[in-house]
Amino acid sequence: MPASPPQPTQPGRRAPEAAPGPQAPVIERAEQGTINRVVHEADVLIIGGGTAGCLAAVELRERYPGVSVMIAEKAHVDRSGCLAAGMNAINAYLNPGETAESFVRYVRFDSCGLVREDLVKSQAELFEYAVKKVEGWGLPVLTDENGNYAARGRWNIKINGESLKPILAKAARDAGAKIHNWVVITDLLVSDGRCAGAVGFSLRTNTFYVFKAKATIVATGGAAGLYKPNNAYDAQHKTWYSPFNNGAGYAMGIRAGAEMTSFEMRYVALRTKDAIAPTGTLALGVGAPMVNARGERFMAKRYAHLGGDGAPTPYRAFGPIEEAKAGRGPCYLDTTHITEEQASQLKTAYLDMYPSQVLYWAANDVDPMKQPVEVQTTEPYIVGGHCQAGYWVDADRRTTLAGLYAAGDVAGGAPFKFVSGCWAEGIIAARAAGAEVQGLAAPQIDHRQTAYHYQRTFDPLFNYGKVKYGVRPYDMEVRMQKIMEEYAGGASNHYEMNEERLLLARKYMGQLPDQFDQLVVGDMHELMQAHEVMDRVAVGQVLVEHLIARKETRWPAFQTRTDFPDRDDLHWLKFVNSRMDPGTGKIEVVFRPYEQVVEGDRYHPGEAPGKKHPAPRPAAPPTPPSSSPKSGG
Amino acid sequence: MPVVVDPDLCNGCYNSRQPPCVRMCPGDLIVKDFNTNKAYLKYVEDCWDCLPCVKACPEEAIRFQLSYQMGFYSAALQPHIHKDRQHITWTLQHPDNRREEFTIRTKVLEVALDEKVEGEPAPDFSI
Repeated sequence: MPASPPQPTQPGRRAPEAAPGPQAPVIERAEQGTINRVVHEADVLIIGGGTAGCLAAVELRERYPGVSVMIAEKAHVDRSGCLAAGMNAINAYLNPGETAESFVRYVRFDSCGLVREDLVKSQAELFEYAVKKVEGWGLPVLTDENGNYAARGRWNIKINGESLKPILAKAARDAGAKIHNWVVITDLLVSDGRCAGAVGFSLRTNTFYVFKAKATIVATGGAAGLYKPNNAYDAQHKTWYSPFNNGAGYAMGIRAGAEMTSFEMRYVALRTKDAIAPTGTLALGVGAPMVNARGERFMAKRYAHLGGDGAPTPYRAFGPIEEAKAGRGPCYLDTTHITEEQASQLKTAYLDMYPSQVLYWAANDVDPMKQPVEVQTTEPYIVGGHCQAGYWVDADRRTTLAGLYAAGDVAGGAPFKFVSGCWAEGIIAARAAGAEVQGLAAPQIDHRQTAYHYQRTFDPLFNYGKVKYGVRPYDMEVRMQKIMEEYAGGASNHYEMNEERLLLARKYMGQLPDQFDQLVVGDMHELMQAHEVMDRVAVGQVLVEHLIARKETRWPAFQTRTDFPDRDDLHWLKFVNSRMDPGTGKIEVVFRPYEQVVEGDRYHPGEAPGKKHPAPRPAAPPTPPSSSPKSGG
Repeated sequence: MPVVVDPDLCNGCYNSRQPPCVRMCPGDLIVKDFNTNKAYLKYVEDCWDCLPCVKACPEEAIRFQLSYQMGFYSAALQPHIHKDRQHITWTLQHPDNRREEFTIRTKVLEVALDEKVEGEPAPDFSI
């Protein structure tokens, strides 16, 4: 036993212990040999009991009652993942008059003409089924005077979703899925070229888990925390995307050699200043337009050819970034026209999803009726539910690794999923996985493989007392965020990047895996942090390769290449995919063709039923505005 | 500090090994100190401000306030789950002591005081 635990090298980070007295009895300093090994077996393993995972579990058990299902969840399914705080709207729904095709047209427009249309269409076809199902479990969905769901914008309906997550979790439990809470999955098992389950460890007991399954659905969500966070110190996790979503699902697939797509379409979200709360509640909920410091409606003025305030999502982040660069910031969503009743409704809507926004206004003496709401852009996230980063999947959400399915934010190619699209993908993956496991024999797993994963899982803990000058997970996280921020298009560089910087990012990110064996932790919570940072590094490395590969600017702000500032349909109307060779660790980039499934102009949002879209169809294909930077940032 | 357990109000949920706040935190950030029999936010800097802990506390002993860097300290926001579990009322306290209340429809499921964790299993090295 060492004389004293390793000290954090960043004394400012660890806040003083909040409560007096010794630590609670989480397992401290577990030693090798005291860790139990437990094997669980079922037909289907679902990794991540969140938005997609819960719906997948229910669909499996309802459609295939003979199929046994287990869920491995890092937290507690009742309040895990993105929905922990709640939701106030379903943002992907076919309101009256809309169709799956009209949805594809809009999402294609919003994604600047490049999207997996087959996937987008198939998720849209299940929106109604999924929403009705969850409403049946008790979710309050608001209705209008005609009995239709109350719309909030073209694709959105209003809900009172403060308890959305516990409602989903209960349904999964009631359906008979065996739930393993506080299990951190560290890697997939692969046997005879097929995914055979996964391994992980318990945050609560000294246990190494082997989950053996005939089919596995990965539904862990996307990745936050790759770049420097917007706020520091005790607000470093005041992020929009769940800071507990670390890209574990991507990372385990990358390590197993599954093909990934479109990581370069990062998500830079337009959010309220500091609180980082979603802005749809303002823009769609009370019709607040964006204005700059001079009060100009700059989206209408400078981006009219793209749809003004209705421009594709990347431009709604790019616009305010450019205003700030030109000295016309800060930017706002102008709420000063709203009535007292609307202001109250606005606060109510935020309380259902993002309560800290309401507290922030009170704490800072902001009245949205009198003062426009300041907005900012976030750290870049990797999230397949808003953008397209994720596993390359077929129509059944089958990944390139046999026996492995992906659903929700971890699945690629289909943006604009939000909550209901993740539900839809969970359902699609469940239907296919349930059919596949029929008559399939249980996988056999080589002892050497589990022994390897056991060692890899607990190495940082076993290093305790052995590695004298070790690295704490937080220190590595800060190093990684610094590299990504400075060389791979962080907020402080206006999200801009060029080849030279990206090559430096590749070099420095490539050094981090060599230091994994220096990670030292003292308990299971810290062991989770160690795996989180190792996963983030894997995701970051793949992200850098994707950013290097796409030599055009398809999604300004999400992916601004200063050395290739224009969109180039002639050469780049295709997907950038990658695969890491599990043997050599080398990341290979491949390109996959785009296929148009729904006819029509790829740069037009389609007509909303009953009214013309305000944006006139541009004569020439739109390009990023001429103010876009030409020099390396 | 984003959320603070008030030690005067926290009763540790009696003998609970895994009180609701400990279980519901999606980041595994809250622990119970069995010497004082009170819960506290151990990893302050990792809090997401998502509030399941605050909503699940049967004693309403967890106070939600912004990190100081985010704004004036004395504002606070407290949810209260109605007995029918169909409504939640949020009380917003402004720095000037003005109070606002918002009552919203919901469906809050019961949160038990404790939950058995899949326990210390018998060692099995036969994988």
